[in-house]
Amino acid sequence: MSRPARPERVRVTAPADARVPRTGRGAADPSGDFYVRSLIRSQLRLALSVAIGFLLLLVGLAVLVAAWPQIHDIRLLTVPLPWLVLGIGVYPIILLGAFVYNRAAARNEERYRDLADPGGS
Amino acid sequence: MNPSTALAAVVLVTAATVLVAVYGLRLSRTTSDFYVASRTVKPWWNASAIGGEYLSAASFLGVAGLIVVSGQDALWFPIGYTAGYLMLLLFVAAPLRRSGAYTLPDFAEARLGSMTPRQVTSGLVVVVGWLYIVPQLHGAALTLGITTGLPGWLGAVLVMVIVCVTVLAGGMRSITFVQAFQYWLKLLALAVPAVFLLLHLGLAGESATAGGRAFERGPGTGLGIYGTISLIVALLFGTLGLPHVLVRFYTNPDGPSARRTTVIVLGLLSLFYLFPTMLGVLGRTFTPELAASGNADATILLLPGRIVGGTAGDVLSALVIGGAFAAFLSTTSGLVVSLAGVISQGLFKGTVRGFRISTVAACAVPLLLAVGTSSFALAGAIGSVFAFTASTICPLLLLGIWWRRLTAAGAVAGMVAGAVACGGALVAAGLPLGLPSGVVQLLEQPAAWTVPLAFLTMVVVSRAGRPAAHVGAVMARLHAPEARMPGPEGPSRSRP
Repeated sequence: MSRPARPERVRVTAPADARVPRTGRGAADPSGDFYVRSLIRSQLRLALSVAIGFLLLLVGLAVLVAAWPQIHDIRLLTVPLPWLVLGIGVYPIILLGAFVYNRAAARNEERYRDLADPGGS
Repeated sequence: MNPSTALAAVVLVTAATVLVAVYGLRLSRTTSDFYVASRTVKPWWNASAIGGEYLSAASFLGVAGLIVVSGQDALWFPIGYTAGYLMLLLFVAAPLRRSGAYTLPDFAEARLGSMTPRQVTSGLVVVVGWLYIVPQLHGAALTLGITTGLPGWLGAVLVMVIVCVTVLAGGMRSITFVQAFQYWLKLLALAVPAVFLLLHLGLAGESATAGGRAFERGPGTGLGIYGTISLIVALLFGTLGLPHVLVRFYTNPDGPSARRTTVIVLGLLSLFYLFPTMLGVLGRTFTPELAASGNADATILLLPGRIVGGTAGDVLSALVIGGAFAAFLSTTSGLVVSLAGVISQGLFKGTVRGFRISTVAACAVPLLLAVGTSSFALAGAIGSVFAFTASTICPLLLLGIWWRRLTAAGAVAGMVAGAVACGGALVAAGLPLGLPSGVVQLLEQPAAWTVPLAFLTMVVVSRAGRPAAHVGAVMARLHAPEARMPGPEGPSRSRP
């Protein structure tokens, strides 16, 4: 059994088809540009609302814990409430935000597809 | 604990890493295999791989150590490390994948159509990468020193040599499988001891929290409200700019799968951080003296021996030590690969020989820095790196993706302003200048003012100029979704 010849070394750069075909006519014509702009606006509005909501929640928690020391006296199995909230409770909220965002972002893109490329391709 | 068990764990993990790298190299031999991998990697694997690369010494050892030292304030660190990926999901994941850029400098050039932002971004990526590797090596030095009694610098040298050799061999480059495996190894290495120790304490009728005394505030003043908010800003926005994160997104086939992957990453990180937090609380109960010793990052390494002892304690310790070395190796190799790619593209036009020289440079500089400096709290050191990326690369990405009017001049001005302000503040905070404590806090946690400063500079300078002519096409490329199903096989890949 002879071993197969070692293949020649090839430099790896971006895949040849890095440009996956996109929906719509892009920025080339005015109506395509309009649809792209409105897609970007709606995606940005969505991302900002989730981000700002989450930031306000975190800052609110930080202020609450700093401004109301007695909150430490509320305990479950000897663990104070702030530890439970910051150590465990925040994570499901992060995940919830991620799920909600993910679905809404996909919906925005679907709406763009319907507008920019009604026939589907 | 038993030094020979500890040493065996270190040898086992490093040997496994080398072996997998060598065999993985054989498996992913041809270039077309490499490309196929970029299409067939499922979001679950990809997400595990991102988690494996992301969870570094700061997460594995640093979080528990910081909980022992500063208690409740430390809980913000894992929240920030996780929520950073939420920001990544919201603002960056899908557009960045669609940009087709493989590195941050690629993105800067493609978006702004100019070489200057590319070069500035390259410089920043290299600095960030080096600063991020140093704490990994400090972690390795601490772990080897504490558990085996060998001189600590040996640990740093060991990690760097293994990483350098495997990257030079090309082994760690595209093996999603290895990084994915590292995530689950790290999770088990903390989850098994945490659950075992809690069960042991439960059966022995001992309180894991010393009846709640573990949660009492220490004598320290803590971060305060400004420090906490500044830290949140740094961690949330710093994740966006980490060089080793972007490369991993490239293995997603399209924008929506990049988003799905990120959601899974969030789940994996949320699960992981439960365990360092639990172990940190145990550390406050059983090894509180570490807080004053300066070795608090060793908490997780010492806990099993302290609580259980005997053979069971040795086995658990070996597991933790193995997981810790997996963390140092995976994060460091991910960073070295990204850095070597950026350096070789910038200086050597991306030749194979250039990549090798760059790999050695990417390894040597942080090793010298790590051996030459003394160790500081891991989570805090990483927090400073996050503040730096949040003040430099984060505004480039956010404005580049979402704001048409960003210009090359604006991007460069903003990155330089952020780098000078944040870097200067962090250096000044370390010098004995005798400043009032309020000013020192502004310098130690600079993100709250340096991040807005960088954004503002970018916007103001960009407003004075004109955006590149091709910006409309770039924005369409970043945001327009992929066309509906181009056939069951996806687009054909005729050219390797």
